Amino acid sequence: MTDPFVETRNLTKTFYEESRGEVRAVDSVDLTCRSGEILGLLGANGAGKTTTLRMLSTVLRPTSGEAWVMGHEVRKDPERVRENLGFYSASTALYPKITARETLRFFAQVNRFPRERIEARIEELIDRFGIGDFANSRVEKLSSGMKQKVSIARTVAHDPPVLIFDEPTVALDVLNAIELRQIIGRLRDEGKAILFSTHIMSEAEQLCDRIAIIHQGRILAVGTLDELRKSTGHHYLEEIFVHFARVRDPSEAEVESLRRDRP
Amino acid sequence: MDLRQIWTLYRHEIRSALRERSILLTSIILPVVMYPTLLWVGFTGFYFLEGQAEAMSTRIGVTSVPEVHEPLVDSLAANPRIEILEWTDDERAAAAEIVRGRMEALLEPMPPRDAGEALDGNRTIRILYTEVREGSRSARARIEDVTNAHGADWITEIRRDLGVSDTVWADYAVVMSDQASAEDVTRFLLAMIVPLLTLIMVALAAFYPAIDATAGERERGTWETLMTVAAPRSTVATAKYLYVATFGAVGGLLNLAALALSIRWILSPMTNGVGEELSQGGVPLSAIPVILAGTALLGLFVAAGMLVFAVFARDFKEGQSMITPFYIVILMPALFLQSPNLEFTTGLAAVPIVNVALLLRGAILGDIPFLSGLVTLISMGMAVIAAVALAQFVMRREEVLLGSGQGGLWNFLTRTLRQGRNGS
Ligand SMILES: Nc1ncnc2c1ncn2[C@@H]1O[C@H](COP(=O)(O)OP(=O)(O)OP(=O)(O)O)[C@@H](O)[C@H]1O
Ligand SMILES: [Mg+2]
Repeated sequence: MTDPFVETRNLTKTFYEESRGEVRAVDSVDLTCRSGEILGLLGANGAGKTTTLRMLSTVLRPTSGEAWVMGHEVRKDPERVRENLGFYSASTALYPKITARETLRFFAQVNRFPRERIEARIEELIDRFGIGDFANSRVEKLSSGMKQKVSIARTVAHDPPVLIFDEPTVALDVLNAIELRQIIGRLRDEGKAILFSTHIMSEAEQLCDRIAIIHQGRILAVGTLDELRKSTGHHYLEEIFVHFARVRDPSEAEVESLRRDRP
Repeated sequence: MDLRQIWTLYRHEIRSALRERSILLTSIILPVVMYPTLLWVGFTGFYFLEGQAEAMSTRIGVTSVPEVHEPLVDSLAANPRIEILEWTDDERAAAAEIVRGRMEALLEPMPPRDAGEALDGNRTIRILYTEVREGSRSARARIEDVTNAHGADWITEIRRDLGVSDTVWADYAVVMSDQASAEDVTRFLLAMIVPLLTLIMVALAAFYPAIDATAGERERGTWETLMTVAAPRSTVATAKYLYVATFGAVGGLLNLAALALSIRWILSPMTNGVGEELSQGGVPLSAIPVILAGTALLGLFVAAGMLVFAVFARDFKEGQSMITPFYIVILMPALFLQSPNLEFTTGLAAVPIVNVALLLRGAILGDIPFLSGLVTLISMGMAVIAAVALAQFVMRREEVLLGSGQGGLWNFLTRTLRQGRNGS
């Protein structure tokens, strides 16, 4: 098998906050993601999805552990890491004052896409994502559906092998969310390695090739849906998720019942 | 550092900024229209006052004047703006009229002291007026001028009648010599105005770009997008810094250019029309490179300082309140400069901002002590490097990048210091 495009080993991040003290947002995470694969990161609010993906995209520095993107380590070679990935989330907005075309040109240039091929690449993106009608309008004038198209186009502008989507559908209506999932599926088919975080079970079920269940900063299980079903005996992802979360974080009542079961 | 990437990011910042109305207004339009506006206000005010003065004639009362002195009244009356009133009432009534402004002054020859002893018509002339009203004061001055001239003529005539020649009479005389040319006056005015206005304009022009480059990115939600592009943090920071510095310096220079273009019209009412002959307001050509360099240094310093403060802000409003103290502090030195006696000493040349202001003043007056100039360059250079280093240090910190740290620069520095002390 080929080397994974993304790999993490013991990836850990702790924050220090006055009110809460030390927060272990991500705790010894091991993950891999290969070409042509969508790895889903499934977890509740505050599970550590964003923190993990931000470390991979070098926005945050890991407290300990390592992570590689296309063989480049995030702490040692952050620029090469960023050159090889596109990062998209609900909080990565577009610049409102420039046009769609200028947006694509800027991101292709700044991410070091080969200069002589930039203009051709822009036309290709405009064509592929159906931006043609508003390519020369300023982003501030576009509807949110149009913005979303430009946003994806700018994420892949430099044609990176690795793509990271952090809860990309969170602010979208149903139709836009479906369209976005179709686009992500096609990008996978082209051989991209894709990390996709969500807290929506059905989304993970539909889209992801493998699912990593993350809870309180730890990966509780990783596998295809079938593998997860076999290992838990549950059919629905929701039940599977609850199964793992319980083992890790038993409620008072469960602790009590475990104690009673003991001889 | 990849220069092409800096250029890409820099152009990107500038392009967006030029499409932002508030930035365009304060950094480009305001510096350009500032002087023409002042000029317009000045002219309008000048002509308004002149028109007012013209519309109102000055009323001067005159009591019975001896025949020999009638030319005096005639020459006053020759002025179309003066209206002569034959005053027959008593002094008290005249005083009341003057107080109310219905009459500006009363010209009243005193009765002869000792009849027969003095020359015919040799009288003391009394002028009743009030210091309180401008109209009355200028009427008094007018009467005084005319009476003095008339008195001198009268005496000359008598002297000639007595056969005393001009040479014998070699008079006691006062001769006026105008020592300050219009150029000197304008140069002095410019030396007082230019450093202050340049400082204000550079700071104003850098103000919104500094917030736009930091808090603006956060407010728009583009900060994280930018953090994931394949450029080193230092490249991103450098491009932002150059963007803010460019706007600061350009604002200052546009302001100076507008001044250079409009200076003669601005000053023409003040300098009695001589302003039209002034090519560049009497500023020596050698001052121009110094002024350009000084403005650029100001831009570089102010930009770094403002970025250091603004980078902690999460939105535009926070950015404004975080920069404002810095803005006020750098404008303080301008207050010093209002004292024309302040000397450009080597000591003052070591104080950033103050030194540039004094440098600009010196350049306009054509007098920069070499050592002070050199010290200014070194001191400002060091201040710029320190401010940029601080900006780079601050922008590398994760909590600052994420906007998750609390408070502004002071909070950050005290926290960092405390952690450093605990750590060691
Ligand atoms: N900059 C930060 N400073 C302090 N604590 C943080 C910071 N960022 C995240 N955390 C904490 O780390 C934990 C994980 O947060 P994270 O945002 O990674 O979760 P998430 O899985 O993305 O959740 P959500 O579904 O809400 O986006 C949370 O407890 C959060 O409060
Ligand atoms: Mg999140």
